[in-house]
Amino acid sequence: MLSVLSYGRLVARAVIGGLSQTDSRDYSLVTASCGFGKDFRKGILKKGMCYGDDACFIARHRSADVLGVADGVGGWRDYGVDPSQFSGTLMKTCERLVKEGRFVPSNPVGVLTTSYYELLQNKVPLLGSSTACIVVLDRQSHQLHTANLGDSGFLVVRGGEVVHRSDEQQHYFNTPFQLSIAPPEAEGAVLSDSPDAADSSSFDVQLGDIILTATDGLFDNMPDYMILQELKKLKNTNYESIQQTARSIAEQAHVLAYDPNYMSPFAQFACDNGLNVRGGKPDDITVLLSIVAEYTD
Amino acid sequence: MFYYICLRRRSRSGTRGEALTSRRAVESGQRAVLPVSVEVEQYAKEVLDFSSHYGSENSMSYTMWNLAGVPNVYPSSGDFTQTAVFRAYGTWWEQCASAPPPFRRTPKGFHSQDYIELAFEEPVYPTAVEVLETYYPGAIVQILACSHNPFSQSPPTDVRWEVLWSGEPTKVLTPQARQFSPNIKHISFPTNLLRLEVNSSLLDYYTELDAVILRGVKERPMLALYKMPVIDINDLSDSEEELSDVGGPFRQGSDGKHQRTGNGYFDKLPYELIQLILSHLTLPDLCRLAQSCKLLHQHCCDPLQYTQLSLQPYWARLSDASLGHLQSRAPLLQRLNLSWTGNRGALTLTGFSSFLKACGPSLVCLELSCCHFLTEACLEVVSQTCPGLQELNLSSCDRLNPQAFTHISKLARLRRLVLYRTKIEVGTVNTSCIEHRNFNCYLSLLKIEDYDVVASMLAARCRSLCSLDLWRCRNLTDRGLAELVSGCKMLEELDLGWCPTLQSSTGCFQHLARNLPRLRKLFLTANRTVRDSDIEELASSCPSLQHLDILGTRLVSGASLKKLLQSCPKLVLLDVSFCSQIDMRVVQELSGLFPNVALKKSFTQ
Repeated sequence: MLSVLSYGRLVARAVIGGLSQTDSRDYSLVTASCGFGKDFRKGILKKGMCYGDDACFIARHRSADVLGVADGVGGWRDYGVDPSQFSGTLMKTCERLVKEGRFVPSNPVGVLTTSYYELLQNKVPLLGSSTACIVVLDRQSHQLHTANLGDSGFLVVRGGEVVHRSDEQQHYFNTPFQLSIAPPEAEGAVLSDSPDAADSSSFDVQLGDIILTATDGLFDNMPDYMILQELKKLKNTNYESIQQTARSIAEQAHVLAYDPNYMSPFAQFACDNGLNVRGGKPDDITVLLSIVAEYTD
Repeated sequence: MFYYICLRRRSRSGTRGEALTSRRAVESGQRAVLPVSVEVEQYAKEVLDFSSHYGSENSMSYTMWNLAGVPNVYPSSGDFTQTAVFRAYGTWWEQCASAPPPFRRTPKGFHSQDYIELAFEEPVYPTAVEVLETYYPGAIVQILACSHNPFSQSPPTDVRWEVLWSGEPTKVLTPQARQFSPNIKHISFPTNLLRLEVNSSLLDYYTELDAVILRGVKERPMLALYKMPVIDINDLSDSEEELSDVGGPFRQGSDGKHQRTGNGYFDKLPYELIQLILSHLTLPDLCRLAQSCKLLHQHCCDPLQYTQLSLQPYWARLSDASLGHLQSRAPLLQRLNLSWTGNRGALTLTGFSSFLKACGPSLVCLELSCCHFLTEACLEVVSQTCPGLQELNLSSCDRLNPQAFTHISKLARLRRLVLYRTKIEVGTVNTSCIEHRNFNCYLSLLKIEDYDVVASMLAARCRSLCSLDLWRCRNLTDRGLAELVSGCKMLEELDLGWCPTLQSSTGCFQHLARNLPRLRKLFLTANRTVRDSDIEELASSCPSLQHLDILGTRLVSGASLKKLLQSCPKLVLLDVSFCSQIDMRVVQELSGLFPNVALKKSFTQ
């Protein structure tokens, strides 16, 4: 004969158990990319997931969806080095690492470290530097693991508000943290940050969360409110709408970049630091727009 | 990952099908249905084992693990990181003075220098094997299939290897990619474990493989009933019995009666001459000959025939029993090659140790490359039974734990030691290197953190060191190198490839050149700091230089290479791949001026 207390305990347990049903579905990211290289107006187009000196990748694995952007440092052009080679090879190597499963979803910094190490294993003497931002969605745990080195970054938007974002890593003005491989005669004179210097974070995501990963070409030209305005237009989670929204964000940023009177976030920051400038910042723009959805094979 | 790329339904050809269906209809009395065989196409799921590769252990660049899965590069040609590349090519390594002489009695059909074993998802009866080669093709010499399923939980029993295809090493005229699909033999068991054996000796550069496709059928093909199996006279399928049939029917011979010596001319030939004739036979032939008559049995069992024994060509069939039967012939054995043998339970400590006890006292050279049956106990037996051992090769024995190597230090007479891809640790290397003359050391190791320590110890203790392989020794710095070259002035061969911590600006390469006048081989592969002044110092200080590899440096110009080629008349190999100042024009100019030099310029298209 159950006592009132034990019966009450049983009922309470059943109710609480029913309420806190954890979501056991696997999540995935539906991602679209868009971008414009700085030389887009001159008609110079690069192949594949490269926009000017920027590069990006989108990769799927059984356990996780992984995205990445890398912003090649343009200053190498003055020394006869093509800046897009480093960022492009870095992103392609990350993509290959993910596809072959040589990574741990909860350790995105490891993806950067391993990828950087693999660049050094190439017979071809690669030179150059770039920032990097890696975003990993762990399907089962519903956690977003990120690693960011430099001034590229990501936003997580939920219910029209930014709920999580990356921080910029700068040494000084216009000099972000960067992975680099320098020619031997210049070693010591070239800024080279270790992949371990990347900021990392882990964040619980929900179905419907929007993740925007981009290089500084976007964030320096479009403030948050404009980005959020564009994202409000995203009605459903199919690939075409995401592609359309990504495109409109990138296009808008591209237009603003060449507006000489517009007070861009970049100009604002410069003014705050005593430099009297106005206008957008012409730069390579790369936008990866993702929505957290249910995993379908 | 998807390993099936397509499932093809293929109905049997008309005439055969009709014959079958009509037979079936007669037998069963029902309306016959044409049976259909399903052909399955698979990419390799996993790389299980291999003898060597160009890349680093934890990397995916130029390593053997790239052979699994879908192709990354094909149909493009070029020197790409996403392919599987073996450690060596051509005959450059055999030409080195430190290379061991080949073993006698190597059968003509055995050309294999390297191998790789691949596991596929589903066992099938193979109908085709396609290898996607993306750079300098032509190296594959054998394809074998195994009856054991590597994914099964049970330990391997009755492991059989069948040769699906065998050929000579070839040289394709252009380095372009190709799909290699030889006609393979049909076998009687399903397989999901393939082994490719390669020989790159005719190739001009490293061969690179991208993927392997296995096509086969799930059900045993009916063809087997209609086609007689091809009996290959050279097949070693009964060598096991030959190796075991030492006694044979001749035991009854010595019964005291007058024996008929009807051996024809063999009775007239001196003993030594018959021995000389027999020395040209391969091992299975020698064993078969032992069964022919009493006289030849005596000759074939004479230990003098067994001063060198290479069991590597027979790796697929060697077992404890085989070793047991050869034991009695082994007391004068000086050089023993057990490379590639004994895996999947074929050899055990018992068989190995009893054989070594029989031949140990005279043993001078022991090749144990890729012997995964080796344990610490096996190495202990080696150290106990082979006090006179001078050469030991443990290349790619990567399953031996670090403690096993402590037994090497007991081998006081070691001159040549190969530890490529093993897990030896610093402390063990230190104690194992005592003062030797002509100590040749291959030290491309997995676990060593501080190669400077190893270098300084070698400099202190091995002053007659002739040949040292420090390929991919990641932490070696100019300090260690300086100590090494000051201590080991007799060095003729030094491989410092992919050692990124060596900086030319410290002057370490110039110091090296000045201190090693006898230098014949120097590899500075992928050291991006090598510069003109280093080349010029080599030109003035190392006149005997024969092999030089400076892949990947931007700082060397054609002018300094010209000086080098003029000052080093013996130079035959110069690898200037990915040296940005050395373009095709410079290569052609230098090739024209110095036609005896093989100038290597690799490319990624």
